[in-house]
Amino acid sequence: MSQTITDGHSVDTGTVLLGASAVTMRFGGLTAVNNVSLNVHSGEIVGLIGPNGAGKTTLFNCLTGLYRPTSGEVRFLGEVLPPKPRLVVRRGMARTFQNIRLFHNMTALENVMVGMYSRTQTNAIDAVFRLPRHRREELASTERAKELLDFVGLSKAADTLSRNLPYGDQRRLEIARALATEPKLLLLDEPTAGMNPQETRQAEELIFRIRDLGLAVLVIEHDMRFIFNLCDRVCCLVRGEVLIEGPGEVVQNDPRVIEAYIGSSETDDEPAVPAADEPEQKGEADA
Amino acid sequence: MEYFLQQLINGLSLGALYALIAVGYTVVYGIVQLINFAHGEIFMIGAFGAYATWMILGQPTDWSTTMSLLVLLPAMLIGGMVASVTVALMTERFAYRPLRNAPRLAPLITAIGVSVFLQEFVRLFYGWVPGFPDAKSAIPFPSVPGLSGESLQFGEVLIQMPAVFTLAALAVCSVFLWYFVNRTKTGRAMVATSQDPDTARLMGINVDRVIMAAFALGAALAAIAGVAHGLRYGNIDFRMGFLAGLKAFTAAVLGGIGNIAGAVVGGLVLGVAEAMATSFIPGQFGSSAWKDVWAFALLILVLVFRPEGLLGAKVVDRA
Amino acid sequence: MNVIIPDDVKVRFRVPARIIGLVGCTLMIASIFMSWSYGHTVLDDVGYWGAPSPLQLYYAVLPVLGVLLLAVPLLGRGRLGRWAKLVAWNTSAKTCAIWSLAVTAVMIASIAIGLGGLVNVDPGGWVALAGALIAVASTLFLPDSPDPNLYRLKSPQWVQILAIVGVMAVLLFGAAYLLNFENADQFLTFGASVVGVVMVLRQFGIFSWLSIAAANNNRVLVTSAFVVAFAFPFTQNGSDANMSIASQVLIFAATALGLNIVVGLVGLLDLGYIAFLGAGAFTAAILSGSAFATIDWVPPFWLTVLIAGTVSSLLGLLIGAPTLRVSGDYLAIVTLAFGEIFRITMNNLDGNDGPNLTNGSNGISAIPDLNFFGFDFGKAHVIFGIDIGRFANYYWLMLVVIAIIIVVFMNLNYSRIGRGWVAIREDELAAEAMGVNTFALKLLAFAGGAFLAGVAGAVKAHYDVSVTPDQYVFLESAFLLAAVVLGGMGTVMGVLIGATILKLLPEKLRFFSDYRLLLFGLLMVIMMRFRPEGIIADERRQLEFHDEDDALAVEIQEEMRAKHVHLNPEPKEWDL
Repeated sequence: MSQTITDGHSVDTGTVLLGASAVTMRFGGLTAVNNVSLNVHSGEIVGLIGPNGAGKTTLFNCLTGLYRPTSGEVRFLGEVLPPKPRLVVRRGMARTFQNIRLFHNMTALENVMVGMYSRTQTNAIDAVFRLPRHRREELASTERAKELLDFVGLSKAADTLSRNLPYGDQRRLEIARALATEPKLLLLDEPTAGMNPQETRQAEELIFRIRDLGLAVLVIEHDMRFIFNLCDRVCCLVRGEVLIEGPGEVVQNDPRVIEAYIGSSETDDEPAVPAADEPEQKGEADA
Repeated sequence: MEYFLQQLINGLSLGALYALIAVGYTVVYGIVQLINFAHGEIFMIGAFGAYATWMILGQPTDWSTTMSLLVLLPAMLIGGMVASVTVALMTERFAYRPLRNAPRLAPLITAIGVSVFLQEFVRLFYGWVPGFPDAKSAIPFPSVPGLSGESLQFGEVLIQMPAVFTLAALAVCSVFLWYFVNRTKTGRAMVATSQDPDTARLMGINVDRVIMAAFALGAALAAIAGVAHGLRYGNIDFRMGFLAGLKAFTAAVLGGIGNIAGAVVGGLVLGVAEAMATSFIPGQFGSSAWKDVWAFALLILVLVFRPEGLLGAKVVDRA
Repeated sequence: MNVIIPDDVKVRFRVPARIIGLVGCTLMIASIFMSWSYGHTVLDDVGYWGAPSPLQLYYAVLPVLGVLLLAVPLLGRGRLGRWAKLVAWNTSAKTCAIWSLAVTAVMIASIAIGLGGLVNVDPGGWVALAGALIAVASTLFLPDSPDPNLYRLKSPQWVQILAIVGVMAVLLFGAAYLLNFENADQFLTFGASVVGVVMVLRQFGIFSWLSIAAANNNRVLVTSAFVVAFAFPFTQNGSDANMSIASQVLIFAATALGLNIVVGLVGLLDLGYIAFLGAGAFTAAILSGSAFATIDWVPPFWLTVLIAGTVSSLLGLLIGAPTLRVSGDYLAIVTLAFGEIFRITMNNLDGNDGPNLTNGSNGISAIPDLNFFGFDFGKAHVIFGIDIGRFANYYWLMLVVIAIIIVVFMNLNYSRIGRGWVAIREDELAAEAMGVNTFALKLLAFAGGAFLAGVAGAVKAHYDVSVTPDQYVFLESAFLLAAVVLGGMGTVMGVLIGATILKLLPEKLRFFSDYRLLLFGLLMVIMMRFRPEGIIADERRQLEFHDEDDALAVEIQEEMRAKHVHLNPEPKEWDL
């Protein structure tokens, strides 16, 4: 089932950042992800599509160490990733969550600063005695966090509690927090779910700017227009398996993809309803 | 060999006591993910309820063995259960239910508060009932003719009657539990709720009622254990729930918390381990003064090497 | 109460309500010039006409406040400007009336109980009661004020500093005064009026302003707090009884603060915390050179303190390392078990069931007093002409320990590590997925908290003179937890207040000491149900406990913004 694409389209020929080979995840009798292989090269935006329940988020969880795959391996820059989210982050891979998981009672700035945790060194001794390193790092991280908020367009919201942010801003804040971990590859789980068209355009533009920073992006999305505008390459997952992988227009026109979507209960460019959670409703009220 | 068998029997009967209490921890945890610290006190209240029943029956001491076994013992068990189930349901209703959506820390702290409150309540006010003894120190538990004094003998192995009672009670309760979980509507609703409360609710299961059933079930078994404890040790006191509760929780973790069969197995294993530790650990550390330490050491070892317990715990998927 | 009287009625009747309320308050003030009791043996003798006793004077404070709260809006109608909105005139008047009634009730009950029946209550008491009832009834007709937002009020720094120093001075003399009441009825009356005044000021919005002032002038706050605490022994004029209570309060508060790092900052429930205190105490006792010590080595005290802390934190690692990997719930029960293991082990290390280290249940007694560079903690010293006894010496030492714990608490809280802890509390999985080493951070808090407990234990051993296993049992851990819960998880001020209340009340109200555990158990249940964030709420904790309250979230955000707490990583931005 594993496919590699070498049809010389606009695909970046950079190094392979993420290499998942034959990843399989079973929960009891249920095979959520079956024998999926997927490469992401540096500087590339890859889309991951598929009907609900196709195993996209489960695959994300396998890639980021939240789950330990039943079989198969995930390599990052050629090295096998440790099955611990924290260590995955250190290697240079960060993610957002489908059902926004910000630290709700922290301010936007603090959220981003938590993202910097793995790139800072202040220890308990430094902090208790307020040694120079603590001071230096705090000032530097505050500065950097402000820059990141600026980058995603939230500079005015630095001292707003993240739970008080409108829904779209929360999604952007989650991206800023992920960027704070200084990733080489960013994994976005439905970054435009619940957004209005204008916000979606802004998100699209933001992802391009992230790519321009030199990061690769792997994005799960249901919004087909968004995906095919954005991605260099698209991988379609159906029932835990890779149905097809290739350049946007190839995937877009593949009859099997259309069938997979029509065959499922979901329509294609309606954003799927994420798990019922408050931010979703709040976001809609704000929109 | 006889010595080993003797210790095995001692351990099993002790373990049966733990198992009866452990079920209460496990069913409640399985459904609401709450460590009900006050469950040890529910066990204590079961014992005091049984004692109260005995007082109300006029402190019978000269009943025949048949009468005792057929009337007195069931009456005491029922009295204990009424007390423990009532208190357990009240704590659920007034202390835990309002906190069902609160952060995890809140119900845990409440449980500690309930535990301290119940202990102190019994200590301070049990003696206020006219004719009842003061509960500030241990109260001698009545002996039930037919269940105390005598013992069964198999070769060199001696089994005290209270131990027989405990083992028999566990056996009966296990059969009952199996039937309840697999064959009754409430039991199956309980299993469904513990696996997925939201879906269970959507399927029309009254989750409040299931939770109450879990508390009541645990409390009823704890009351049986309370009577068994009284018969075994000959006295009861307001503090007895603390250590017994801790041990029972250890048993529940040992078997895999949330797993009813696990609680029974865990209790028996813990009891045997304790009995063996006091018999076979050489030197000063094998004295009975250390047995509780070994039991808790076992708890920590289980958490290190097999946190899901012997029979597997309910894994909470939080992703 | 809002259900009883419709809002439109309230608006219509607010002027007459204020006038009637003023009558009530005036009656209460007038009553202090009358005799309250037939006899002369209750309270501080309130049986004279025309000459108020000190307690009666304090009693008048609440009604006087009431007069101000009612008269100012009445006379200043239309001229209050923004002051009409900045503070909650009506709600605080209502609070004032209710507390006046409560204090009146306490006094009348004291007279009735102390002299045997209500017949002993003189006209003064009845006039006061009538006044209080009138005040309560009339203030119910006042429309509710909007929440006070006095924190928006800008004020010059010198005013803020003056206010902080003033509060501290009041605190010092209030505490000194309160401690001097020997009788439960006087203590209760005075205590209830103090609490009443505090509640009124709080409703009024003073505290929200003060907390901003405190946040802006942290150095002043911290310095003046310590000056006041340091000066306290001088107000006691050598009274050993009070200093003994005060130093016990400090030891208890220090331990509770350490526990608060674990419970309040990280959200881990540590039910064996007292065992870490005990481990420190036993370590210090064994190394103290007491005749009963089992190790014949007496290191200098600073080294003993370090060893005690290290022993405690190693035990913490031993317990925490396996448990913290699993789940927070297990930690609670494992620490509970650990507390029990500790007690049993200390009992067993008696040379009989194990090697002799602790003399078993007898423990180690005759621990010598500390001696720093010739300053003998066991002896009384005369400073500025005032006797400073043994307890005062330890009081000061504990003050230093508390200072250390507060510094650790605050500096960790406002750092990368503190942010990690909050993240763990909020969403452990997301924290881990953002690169936070959740296990290490939890272990750090757990072992660090144990270290601080060990340090406090080392001092406690010398203070207590003897160390026995039964001083360190589960109920003491529950008691500590109650102090944290009552005071406010995650705050320093709250826990200091909680610890003081829990330790002081049983000391002063002897009749209630047998019921204290019952009430504290109940207190924990009630607090978790109705005010889980405690008396002094940590903003973030309050939000966590009231997750669905969006209005509160906005309000708190504005207050935090006003304090600039979160944008400045500098240590001066502590928010006690």
